[in-house]
Amino acid sequence: MSETDTYYIERCLDGHPDDFRYIVRRYQAVLLAHLAGKLGSKDKAEEAAQESLVRAYFNMNKLKRPGSFFSWLLGIADRVAKEHRRKEQLHRQREVIRSFSDEAASPELSQDYGLEAAIAELPESYRRVVLLRYYGGRSCSQVAEQLDMPLGTVTKTLSRAYAMLRKSLQQPKETEIYEVQK
Amino acid sequence: MNCAECKEILVAYLEELLAESEKQAVSDHLKDCHSCQAELKQLTNLQERLVSNGRVVAQSDLENDVMNQIVREQNVRLKVAQKATAGLKLRRIIMKSSITRVAAAAVVLIVAALGVNYIMTPSVTFADVIEPIINAKTVILDMLVGDEETSPLMHEIVVGSRIRRTLSNMEHVTQIIDLESEKMLALDNRDKKAVLVDITGPVGEGSRIYVEFLQRELVKLKDNYTELGEQEIDGQKAIGFAATGQNNEEVKVWANPKTALPIRVELRVGQFFAIMKNFQFDVPIEDSLVSMEVPPGYALHQTTFDLTKATEQDFIEGLRIWTRVHDGLFPEAIGTEVTMKKAPMLSEKLDQLNLPEEEIGRMMMTYVRGALFLQMLERQSPFQYAGNGVKLGEADTAIFWYQPKGSKTWRVVNGDLSVRDVAPEDLPK
Repeated sequence: MSETDTYYIERCLDGHPDDFRYIVRRYQAVLLAHLAGKLGSKDKAEEAAQESLVRAYFNMNKLKRPGSFFSWLLGIADRVAKEHRRKEQLHRQREVIRSFSDEAASPELSQDYGLEAAIAELPESYRRVVLLRYYGGRSCSQVAEQLDMPLGTVTKTLSRAYAMLRKSLQQPKETEIYEVQK
Repeated sequence: MNCAECKEILVAYLEELLAESEKQAVSDHLKDCHSCQAELKQLTNLQERLVSNGRVVAQSDLENDVMNQIVREQNVRLKVAQKATAGLKLRRIIMKSSITRVAAAAVVLIVAALGVNYIMTPSVTFADVIEPIINAKTVILDMLVGDEETSPLMHEIVVGSRIRRTLSNMEHVTQIIDLESEKMLALDNRDKKAVLVDITGPVGEGSRIYVEFLQRELVKLKDNYTELGEQEIDGQKAIGFAATGQNNEEVKVWANPKTALPIRVELRVGQFFAIMKNFQFDVPIEDSLVSMEVPPGYALHQTTFDLTKATEQDFIEGLRIWTRVHDGLFPEAIGTEVTMKKAPMLSEKLDQLNLPEEEIGRMMMTYVRGALFLQMLERQSPFQYAGNGVKLGEADTAIFWYQPKGSKTWRVVNGDLSVRDVAPEDLPK
């Protein structure tokens, strides 16, 4: 488990596809946290995380710099989340047309949706650090190493992220994601 | 330090990233500053929330789902690609009885371990004292049956109720045993074939006892042993203990005199002799090594072997099968040690007979049941083998005789594989 992303990616490309499981293990929690914040439910996050990882696997040969696998994976996850949400909206619009008297059943939220949603709203550079630190099980110095930045920058980024998260968590959330888009 | 400076580095303080002097400065400031204390409290709350949510999220396991989906998609893609080039490509010829081979090899590995199990009887009562060894979460060891120079080495990784087992003379086969579900997954990494074997019954039971056996055998020495003194064993200084159990099994354990961890365990019961060595305890082991999931790229074949009964008839048929691929000659010797050494060769020779796969599978299973029968004899009944140099059909030559448990007469097997009951005084000389 201690090998770098680059090592596993090259192993996969060299005909050891099974080594992809180490990548899955490494990033599944990170992806789930990221996607739960965007999609609002554990099940949807799991579905999207799985799809993101599978998509990453089949597009691995297009990854130019294996060292930046993580950012690339988040990018894929963002696209998957967007697609899922679009599908969901279409689906819900149809539902609404079918029966506009019935209140749509509230989806099962993940454990700490408020927190996950707040993380999902962080700017990319802050989000990466928070996800790796708390969902990827990395220490700050490991985060620094992986993202190729000085430890001081990680600390500062984390400080700022804490401030943003606190601010965001203090504002009561609108149930915006359940709205039907016009 | 003022409040602004303190707040600036509170997160770093919380993450324990500050140098000792800075840390001290923050601590000092916090003592007198309620505002910064409150700030720290808030940050701590948020950190706890992040950590606990991180833990919850980490409980979801996508690994198998993702890997399975990749395999499915890979197959779909392959099919599409194959269709596109249909007619151009030659079909890959799959070796006819690779499944048989995997299965047979796997069963042979079981047989090897069973030899040890039979020594273990539930009546053994020993104090549970040697805590660290008994409670080892993982054990890695090598085991060999019979002569140390020539016998194949069995490498075992034991993690709780799972065992990963490989044998040095069948390197392409790996066996993963799950004692809880009594299933065994045998993988042939040469042909990428997987066989899931139901080992409910004595085989599963035997393997279960084997794991306990390993641990209890060490406890055994606690109450009733003689010291063998210090000696150089496998290149290291070791202190030796010997004990004789209730079933006349002889056990020798060589351990590191400082750590008391075992270096080598030797067992002798009647004609059965096994050595366990190269122990490693509580080494972290990748879950995937003992996973019962079929790895991506492997084709799974569901097989169930009936190993619940091993009879004299199986043993005799096993001898007949042997002669079939050895110019009619009976084996030079028999026993667990021989089975372990010769089974891979036997399965390859059977492969060359160009028989239907089921037929070879059936023969191999019979042979293995015969070996199991013999193994039971090894622990409980006297027997004699005299088949070396004898050809199938020599009706006047006795090749094997044994005394079934509780019987006054002996069973004698002749060179034509007929059997008769004989009084002890009329036994072959």
